[in-house]
Amino acid sequence: QEAGRLTGLKLDGDKPIQIESDHLEVRENDGVAIFTGNVSVVQGPTLLRSGKMTVHYNTEGGSATTGSADIDRLEVEGKVYVKSETQVATGDSGSFDMRSEVLVLSGKEVVLTEGDNVVVGCRLTVQMSTGLATLDGCGKQQGGSGGRVKMLLKPGSQNR
Amino acid sequence: MTISSAQQPTGTARRTAATPSAQESRVEEAFSRARRHSGRVRFLKLTLPVVAVLMVAAFVAKSWLATPEGVSVELGSTAIEGGRLVMSDPKLDGFTRDNRPYNMTAERAIQDIGNASKIDLEGIAAKLPLDDDNWVTVAAKSGVLDRDANTLGLDSDITFTTDTGIHALLRSAVVDMASGKLETSDPVDIMLDGARIEADSMRISEKGAVMVFENRVRMEIDAKRLQTAANAEGDTANGGTNEN
Repeated sequence: QEAGRLTGLKLDGDKPIQIESDHLEVRENDGVAIFTGNVSVVQGPTLLRSGKMTVHYNTEGGSATTGSADIDRLEVEGKVYVKSETQVATGDSGSFDMRSEVLVLSGKEVVLTEGDNVVVGCRLTVQMSTGLATLDGCGKQQGGSGGRVKMLLKPGSQNR
Repeated sequence: MTISSAQQPTGTARRTAATPSAQESRVEEAFSRARRHSGRVRFLKLTLPVVAVLMVAAFVAKSWLATPEGVSVELGSTAIEGGRLVMSDPKLDGFTRDNRPYNMTAERAIQDIGNASKIDLEGIAAKLPLDDDNWVTVAAKSGVLDRDANTLGLDSDITFTTDTGIHALLRSAVVDMASGKLETSDPVDIMLDGARIEADSMRISEKGAVMVFENRVRMEIDAKRLQTAANAEGDTANGGTNEN
């Protein structure tokens, strides 16, 4: 397990989220809004791109179509790309829980880059409110490289 | 009843001098023809207007009966302009399939005499059932109501407001009132509480339960919306404050 300070990837509570896509289907009874086709989500400096994003509303209170329900969690899949001011993370699928503000990015190869430093693993978990990120190797799930995280540090980058 | 000689048809005078009785019978016959003629005129003078009135009444009744039984049409004042029936501030009430009432008023409704099912409407205000217990009020500049198909085609700026706080601006729409469907291939701008959706086309079906937006979908969610979700859990998970 590799824990590191990931200052960039963080949600600012006070900025609106802009979502764009080719297609959006809001299904009230299932309490979901499904964005498909070039989905891009922007909030302040943070950008998320994926092929599909499903917004799950908690429907006890309001309803999805009338928009009065609060957002419970977002699920993204299809070439997920998350970028913040300093870091870029890519993976196959991800989810972001609004309550705990935890972003989980997983896939055969989750790559986290900051400048020239590259870290590769299978599961990146970011606590968005603090930016604390942990990257797990792939061993546990698919028996890949024995659960190790590959990290490439460019010499001289540490005194930045 | 005296017959003055002036009325005698002149034709008979030139004939050979007939016996007095033949002459009298000819006069008699001409006279009765004249009387029958004026009788016919009097009869027509009376019946023609009555027939005309009956025809108009029949037309109004027919167009009234032609509406599906669920739809009642109340006509303000009616005028015929250029072969088309113009009704001012008509009110129309109808029922969807699960007999939820919808009503519609307009400033003017114009209808071809021959075609009772299609009505051009101007200055439309309608209240339609959105889903089981929500309503949508529709205001549009103009549109065409097809009473047989129970659809309303709106071809100019429309505003929809629901009692749940959605405010939508559309440029055109076809509303199928019977099955609760709405479709538009022009841009839409929908403002919800704390969120806004814009797209270049939209389809609403299952009485508002499913909304599909296509072509350049843009949605903006206000920050306050995220706060509520985050805070609901925030205090337990990490003190809820965003320190970095």
